[in-house]
Amino acid sequence: MPDALNPGLRGLDPRTGLALVVLVSAAVMSPTGLRFVPAAVALGAGLAVAERAWRRGGGLVLAAAGLWLGGWPLPAAWPGAVTAVVALACQFTIRLVACVGVGWHVIGQSSPTAMSAALRAWRAPRAIAVTLAVMLRFFPVVVGEARAVADAMRLRGLAGGRGLLRHPWLSLERFAVPMTAASLRATEDLSASAALRGLGSRRRPTAMFPLRFGAADLMLALAVAALAAASLAASALLAPWWLA
Amino acid sequence: MIRLEAVGWTFPHADAPALRGIDLTVAAGELVVICGASGSGKSTLLRTMNGLIPHFSEGGVLTGSVTVGGLATAEVELDQLGLVTGTVLQHPRRQFFTDTVAQEIAFAMENFGLAPADIRARVGQLVAELPSTAGSAALRWLSGGLQQQVAIAAATAHRPRVVLFDEPSSNLASDAVGRLSAALASLKAQGLAVVVAEHRLRYLSGLADRVIVLRDGTVEAEWPAAEFQALPDAVLAEHGLRGEVRPAVLPPAEASGPSVAPEAGAGRSARPSGGQSGQPGAGHLPKAGAGLELEGVRCRLGGRLVLDLDRAVFPAGQVTAVRGPNGVGKSTLARIVTGLQKAEGTVRLGGRPLTRRARQRSSAIVMQDPQRQLFADSVRAEIELAASASSSKARPGARPPATAAVLDALDLADLAERHPLSLSGGQTQRLVVAAARLSGRGIVVFDEPSSGVDRRHLRSISNQIRAAAASPAAVLLISHDEDLLAQAADRHLTLQTP
Repeated sequence: MPDALNPGLRGLDPRTGLALVVLVSAAVMSPTGLRFVPAAVALGAGLAVAERAWRRGGGLVLAAAGLWLGGWPLPAAWPGAVTAVVALACQFTIRLVACVGVGWHVIGQSSPTAMSAALRAWRAPRAIAVTLAVMLRFFPVVVGEARAVADAMRLRGLAGGRGLLRHPWLSLERFAVPMTAASLRATEDLSASAALRGLGSRRRPTAMFPLRFGAADLMLALAVAALAAASLAASALLAPWWLA
Repeated sequence: MIRLEAVGWTFPHADAPALRGIDLTVAAGELVVICGASGSGKSTLLRTMNGLIPHFSEGGVLTGSVTVGGLATAEVELDQLGLVTGTVLQHPRRQFFTDTVAQEIAFAMENFGLAPADIRARVGQLVAELPSTAGSAALRWLSGGLQQQVAIAAATAHRPRVVLFDEPSSNLASDAVGRLSAALASLKAQGLAVVVAEHRLRYLSGLADRVIVLRDGTVEAEWPAAEFQALPDAVLAEHGLRGEVRPAVLPPAEASGPSVAPEAGAGRSARPSGGQSGQPGAGHLPKAGAGLELEGVRCRLGGRLVLDLDRAVFPAGQVTAVRGPNGVGKSTLARIVTGLQKAEGTVRLGGRPLTRRARQRSSAIVMQDPQRQLFADSVRAEIELAASASSSKARPGARPPATAAVLDALDLADLAERHPLSLSGGQTQRLVVAAARLSGRGIVVFDEPSSGVDRRHLRSISNQIRAAAASPAAVLLISHDEDLLAQAADRHLTLQTP
């Protein structure tokens, strides 16, 4: 069997990833969700390390540390209106960062077809499954086009702070119009090719490797349960110092 | 297998139809080539055959009838047509929906609901037919040629009876064109009806059963293969078709290092050899200080060494063709010299070392997808924007050419007030080439500027490239198009995997 067909290389079941994103978001964004933020950040960093995305893992921890400093020690050291506003913003943003850390891993590791298969396995309506699959594939296209347009502007001397300050709308238009046009053209090709190859078809789709939960899914579930329990214990035992 | 009767198509809000009165039949096992100028309706005709017209183009008007594999395309669902047709687009990477070769090949079969065991067997068979390097690699890291092979496998995995190709060779090196040719022969031998819209016809000469020329949406000429091969070059030129052009014979550029492919009969690193032909500029190497010099340039991407040059010289006033198979670092070289890509080593222009920022200010590029480089709201304004950027940095005594003259030279005068984004692919290409020429920069890079360009406009593009070099600038011309290289290049640097 060629390596490309080795099911052992598939990693987490995409349904585990989707469930993880929903669970972490619900926990962290709930009214008492700050207590789960350290665990969510640790989980996001751990997942980044597991896929050797060192920069992302490090960036996530640094961002969370910076936001913690701005959200708690800063207003304690310098009480005042400005630091209070900054602290409020940091305390909200740190929750988003924790969710993004986990979501990034799931999006990065799930192919559009795997995600679509996961949603179909959960009996999600065809319109939702196909739309989410197309969106997953669309984001990298837009990012690629945006980079290329920015490069072209740089070489034409149309980028840079001075131009942006003097003609903000014109600069924005010069970036947005070709980026949108190129993205639309690229995604039109993509959608046309996918539609011709049956995406969105009324037939019942199958999967080359039918979805199945494995040891990796179990290990992640145990790790999430341990982190959640540790968060609850820490918030009870370290009440004055733990995030709340 | 394919039958078109009096087919016409008018795009939404268009003043005139894009196709008119097309009658065409293609039998099983037949390979038909559709050619014609850019904007003549080749891609539109293919879209009527796979059903994207009318199903994917709401609001247009389709007349006549199109039947494919016994299905009237206007009356059945698109996925039913998808079962009997396979389509390979001009840019394979734009049609990939997944990340790996196996997933991409399985994609259609999964959507059409084939049994998992059958899908695995078919994917295994098709992956085994690809070069071993393709099987386990991520699609985005494959060379253009390999991506094309994967796209063909993905389009034919579900065993359609009709396969449609839209300019499949436009970005392929000669070795990849050879593999494409073999793939087409195999599909034809399996009894599939194959239709290829194409500008480069040479590689199809032993495969095509018929050649059809479109002009302004109608069939201008149709020849059986034998008759087409006997046509004199003058007749081909009259129809804007590319004839038999021998590969460009160019003297080597001054370059050395592991990324430099050895000249035939020479050592590993190419050395300047003086003139080999009557090409302009051959025979007298300018001093290195007069142009662009690279010294000790090395670049790694994703941990892989993609470019390793000890030294390379691109003289000002000359056009250096950058050649080599897909994936050997040609576009990376372009990004390094224009300052868009970090790399080790030194880059000098006119003897002066340039930082990345300075290289960005000294460079202009025509990208493979020129739509990303249109910033004004009319063709005239685009030319004037390029000229104004040039005049603000102009060398003393330099005078930008008049806008009207540039528009005339590129056959764009009638389109001067059109929005650049409304132009066809070939027209966009010509406009961006003109903007690069007018930029007045010391380094100008053209990255595949002739994909989708017919014979009539190839000459005007090569003239613009020559004019850019004469400004004077060090011009790098990255192209697999031997017709263009024969017309526009002075010397060549052929790259290989370091």
